Amino acid sequence: MNPVYEREIVTIILYTSVFFIILAVVLILFFYYSRKKILQKEFEKKDLEIQHQKEQLRAVIITQEEERKRIAQDLHDDISSKLNIVSLNSHLLKTPNLTAKETLEITGNIIELTAKALENTRRIAHDLLPPVFDKFGLHAGIEELCSEFNSSKAVRVDYQNNLEFDDADKEKDLHVFRILQELMNNSVRHGKASEITLSFGENEVGRYFRYTDNGVGFDIKDKKNQNGLGMKNIGSRVDFLNATLTVDSKIGKGISVLLNF
Amino acid sequence: MSYIWHLIANIGYFLLFVNLVLFSIRLGTHGKANKIFMVYLLVILVIQLVSAYLSSLRIYNLFLSHFYFVGQFILLSLFYKSLFKNHLQKKIINIGYVCCVVILGIQYGLEPNLFFSFNLFEIFITSFLLIVYGVFHFYNMLTDKKEFYYINMGILFYLFGSTILFLVGNFIVNMSGNWNKITWVTNSFLYVIYQLFIMFEWYKSFYKKPIQLKKNNN
Repeated sequence: MNPVYEREIVTIILYTSVFFIILAVVLILFFYYSRKKILQKEFEKKDLEIQHQKEQLRAVIITQEEERKRIAQDLHDDISSKLNIVSLNSHLLKTPNLTAKETLEITGNIIELTAKALENTRRIAHDLLPPVFDKFGLHAGIEELCSEFNSSKAVRVDYQNNLEFDDADKEKDLHVFRILQELMNNSVRHGKASEITLSFGENEVGRYFRYTDNGVGFDIKDKKNQNGLGMKNIGSRVDFLNATLTVDSKIGKGISVLLNF
Repeated sequence: MSYIWHLIANIGYFLLFVNLVLFSIRLGTHGKANKIFMVYLLVILVIQLVSAYLSSLRIYNLFLSHFYFVGQFILLSLFYKSLFKNHLQKKIINIGYVCCVVILGIQYGLEPNLFFSFNLFEIFITSFLLIVYGVFHFYNMLTDKKEFYYINMGILFYLFGSTILFLVGNFIVNMSGNWNKITWVTNSFLYVIYQLFIMFEWYKSFYKKPIQLKKNNN
């Protein structure tokens, strides 16, 4: 073969080889940087998750402390003070030469105060966990909750339910109940709502409840509203339920909440 | 030119030998894939030594290229198969095996003369499939931990660069003097780089690991 021709051929071969080598290097670099990027994104995601969990944990602890404070206050104000007076009155009974009228008055006081203390104990226990919910399930619990709100006359609650609640899911139902309690308290306290509608049903995704009120509403995009203690509590309960929560609200238009659980 | 070629080629064989020793002294710590890879190094080294011996006796040794390509294909396929966890990828390797063996069997049955020159189809199919498996492995490592990362880089690098050099092998053999040596020098050079990648892998994942294990035990 002609040497010039041979040289040409070898050059072509070498260039082709170099071309493929560069291709390989590009491929390797591409994988290297893709891997880096993907791992970085994953780390960021994990970080966010951890941050979110930390915030939820903080919310849980704060709520727990507030609840303790409230219970302590309730016990102190409503029960201890009454029992104190009962104790004083009982000591008075020991004093000699009491007239029949005085004895009657003191015993009357004692009976009245113990009755009040008893009623307060019942109320505190009820606030902690409504016995109706505990004994008869979610449906009865919500009915009682609604009638309590209705009896305050400030708000009218319309409740409809097409679902049967199983006793076995009580733990889940309690979360639903607490979410509802929080929503209704918010509607009355912050939303100044006069009407609340509440309905349970089943769609293609599963069970749901829809909650609306006619209160003042809020700006859904405002971070301040999303990060409130109440909303965080609802968020952690939604997480526990593995449910999805959709909140929709506009200022002046009330709030509408859909929970699929 | 011939002198440079022999020098680089011998460096390549030497590194291959060193890698074989390195991989065999840490055998057992990394399971099946490591063992297969060691066998691969051993087989390639034996083929290289035999071909060098035949060459020194002036005996025609080109038929050994078939053992080289097919042996490399079979052992590296097994190597990748042991690394893959994905069912589909394993299935593709199995299909690749069967196709490759059947087609090459038929080809050699019809044309036994192919045995005494470079078989272009053989070079193409074995390299191509191995590149595909290498890319699969890279893809798997995108989100997973690194396993034989640098070996995979080396395999892709070497196959991409050398396949074209082997494909023109029959053509080059008929060329005169120095020109036909250049491609073989390039190939030897790529082979040295490939062996360096393998060595680096050993350093990264086998040399350091046992020290960490000792620390943990203490």
